[in-house]
Amino acid sequence: MKFTGWLLDVYALPEGYNPDELEASSSPPPYKGKPGDPQDGAALWLLDERDGSRRRLWQALPVTFHAAGPAPRLRLLWRYLQRFPVSLSRSERHELFSDQPLTVLTIQVARPAAQPALFRQVSQAFPDLTYFDADLPLSLRHAACYGTFPLARCRVEVDEKGQVHALEVLNSPWELDPAAVPLRVLSLEPDVDPFHAAPSHVLVRTKDACYRLSLQPVRPLLVNLRAILLRHDPDLLLTAWGDTWLLPHLLELSERHNLPLPLNRDTDCSPVYHQERTYFAYGQVIYRGQQVHLFGRWHVDGHNAVLYHDYGMEGIFELARVTSLPVQAVARLSPGSGISAMQMLTALREGVLVPWHKQQAERPKTAQELLRADQGGLVYQPVIGLHRDVAEIDFVSMYPSIMARFNISPETVKNSPHPKFGDFVPSAQQEMEQGLVPRTLQPLLEKRIALKLHLAELPAWHPRRSAYKARASAHKWLLVTCFGYLGYKNARFGRIEAHEAVTAYGRETLLRAKEAAEDLGYNVLHLYVDGMWVQKQKAKRVADFQPLLDEIVTRTRLPVALDGIYRWVAFLPSRMDARVPVPNRYFGVFQDGSLKMRGIESRRQDTPPWIVQVQLAMLDCLAQATSIDELPDCLPALGRLLRKACADLRLGRVPLAGLLVSQKLSRELNEYSVPSPAARAAAQLEAAGKHLRPGQCVHFLCTIGEPGVRAWDLPDPPNPATIDRDYYRRLLLRAASSVVEPLGVKSIELEDGSSYLCRNGK
Amino acid sequence: MGRTLPSITQVFLQEQESLSRFRRALRRSDQVALDDLFAAARQHLAAAAYAGHALPFEVFLLAMLLEEHKEVLRLRHCVEELEGQVPASALELPG
Repeated sequence: MKFTGWLLDVYALPEGYNPDELEASSSPPPYKGKPGDPQDGAALWLLDERDGSRRRLWQALPVTFHAAGPAPRLRLLWRYLQRFPVSLSRSERHELFSDQPLTVLTIQVARPAAQPALFRQVSQAFPDLTYFDADLPLSLRHAACYGTFPLARCRVEVDEKGQVHALEVLNSPWELDPAAVPLRVLSLEPDVDPFHAAPSHVLVRTKDACYRLSLQPVRPLLVNLRAILLRHDPDLLLTAWGDTWLLPHLLELSERHNLPLPLNRDTDCSPVYHQERTYFAYGQVIYRGQQVHLFGRWHVDGHNAVLYHDYGMEGIFELARVTSLPVQAVARLSPGSGISAMQMLTALREGVLVPWHKQQAERPKTAQELLRADQGGLVYQPVIGLHRDVAEIDFVSMYPSIMARFNISPETVKNSPHPKFGDFVPSAQQEMEQGLVPRTLQPLLEKRIALKLHLAELPAWHPRRSAYKARASAHKWLLVTCFGYLGYKNARFGRIEAHEAVTAYGRETLLRAKEAAEDLGYNVLHLYVDGMWVQKQKAKRVADFQPLLDEIVTRTRLPVALDGIYRWVAFLPSRMDARVPVPNRYFGVFQDGSLKMRGIESRRQDTPPWIVQVQLAMLDCLAQATSIDELPDCLPALGRLLRKACADLRLGRVPLAGLLVSQKLSRELNEYSVPSPAARAAAQLEAAGKHLRPGQCVHFLCTIGEPGVRAWDLPDPPNPATIDRDYYRRLLLRAASSVVEPLGVKSIELEDGSSYLCRNGK
Repeated sequence: MGRTLPSITQVFLQEQESLSRFRRALRRSDQVALDDLFAAARQHLAAAAYAGHALPFEVFLLAMLLEEHKEVLRLRHCVEELEGQVPASALELPG
């Protein structure tokens, strides 16, 4: 039988799967297979295009990994592996960091589900050997063999037992407009945040129905939910707090009442839990909640998915397509793991070994080399103050573009003399064959640029705009992390020299852009890694800046774009010292009236929502002015806004939720020597039986007296009379002064409830 | 994070800190002037980083000098402009 459908998922078949006995028995029989038995393999879920049915198929997918080391040790390993159902061979493989082929012992396991356990055993028995291709996700192996990716349109040839004998992928992950897949989505959401209060209902939504099920009594809840799941048979279970509360809760109820809940579509598997964890990345402590993964159906928890607020399901599907990682995994992984998967896939396809643990140390450098190489991007101090008609020019995905254009990859930079980096003359690495990292990035960069061009042509009302934006955003995160992974010591295809080469080219590029601007008579106000703010007398229109864009492209041969022309932009000084400019604190209004701001209170995640609201209202007021000369006319309106906000605060008219401060815990509670407000709030929660881990966010109100804070998620409602109004007033005035300071307002004075703004020198 | 060398801002603050005894012993009015010099040097951190100089304080001193010279040029320009407004005879020194 042949048919066409969309590939939903690929995973290792549970041990003991037997297609003959599938109908007869519900519990899987013990595994009786021998090596090469066709019962071993991977489960494939396909959405049949003909009738919309969801089919579980299976396909033989032997898994290969390699060990390298001294010949006597490899011989021992060979002998050790004799008693396992594996096939062994000796082969020569290409290792990225060496020029010589590497002799390895190749171990092939017929049953994918058995490989992780076997590898664990082997690596413990032979810890001195080097392993390759040992811990790759099965979906990547499948992708390398057949070119598959999640939501790929495939034509398959299947026998009556559901075994796939041929599989052909009909589309590509690089298509700009992939055909819409008719997925069924069911959303499940408790009526309140379970960490704030005990939910009483769960809201169930499908495309055309909505149910509100009471969590008590349990039996009807489970019976109804079961009926809904069976009737709608969703492909995607979209939940709120499904990872951290809802699904574990439901599964526990189902077990306790002995009422099976078909959350999984694949009845041979049980949902899998992944533990919560806290880790340190990009200078921050990051917390990831527990995860619940399903089989034959995807579960995505909007509150536990990475960057879900930024790119939503559209972005997650896009990430899955381009990385070939399973949808459920990609929703919860950092974009860094995504780019890493793409590199591994490139390596697998080309027969390059993927190291299990990288063993690459930094090359020794002289002090002078280190001084030159160990630098980041160029960050200037802007010219403080208010500036009119400023153009912001950005390099498009600067670092990835540099990697692609100058062929920077761990294997291409290894022999290059270091000081050459950053010189735009053709160097050794540019003449080499395109490296693994640029090879991986090229299609992604091309797709991103094509998508951006497409987006620029679409009118603002176009229904596909938001989908394109979400996908562009997903690409952006992949490309951003790609640079970090070059320098990350544990990245499998990372190398610090490659990372340094990228920043060296970045600095050279930005300086060339600066020189181009100055040569053409533009005044450079600010430079920030890959962006430049310039102005020139009488230059106001896009066409006035085109010669500069062209000149920059000529001098750098990297793509640049005009981000926009500001009617005015204000670069703010440091809070500590008004003479000192800070690189990333500014706001401005583009010619279309849209606002852009960085580093001010509204952008900080710990600023209470009400303060953000007032600051944004003040900025919106400024955005109404059509030119810089009209800005002083806005001052009376700003004064009124601020006076009203102060009165609202004084009279208790601000909803308490608007005053919530949200801060992350940076360590365990007992590790604080002086507890921060966040730690004090977390201690209150701890006393109420709610434990928070480092990296988790605490929401609290600032109150008068000791301990000065009150956690929001405590069982009793807070008393509005205890709010520290003075504290919130100070926050409000600080946010307001960021806005009015560039207009020449020296101080904001408020006495006895009356507030006014005074102009400098008056 | 992940860097072998301190960032240029860290180096700058260390250099400033190393002169705290010198600053303390200055008169209050001189302290203000010294702070101005450091604020001036701080405007050129990007260039100081790019220089990758083994002795960054030399670069900071040069940055201070640069800002001082800009100020001299600005004042010179002001004086010339003012001179243009005054009759030449009034400027002649009694001699």
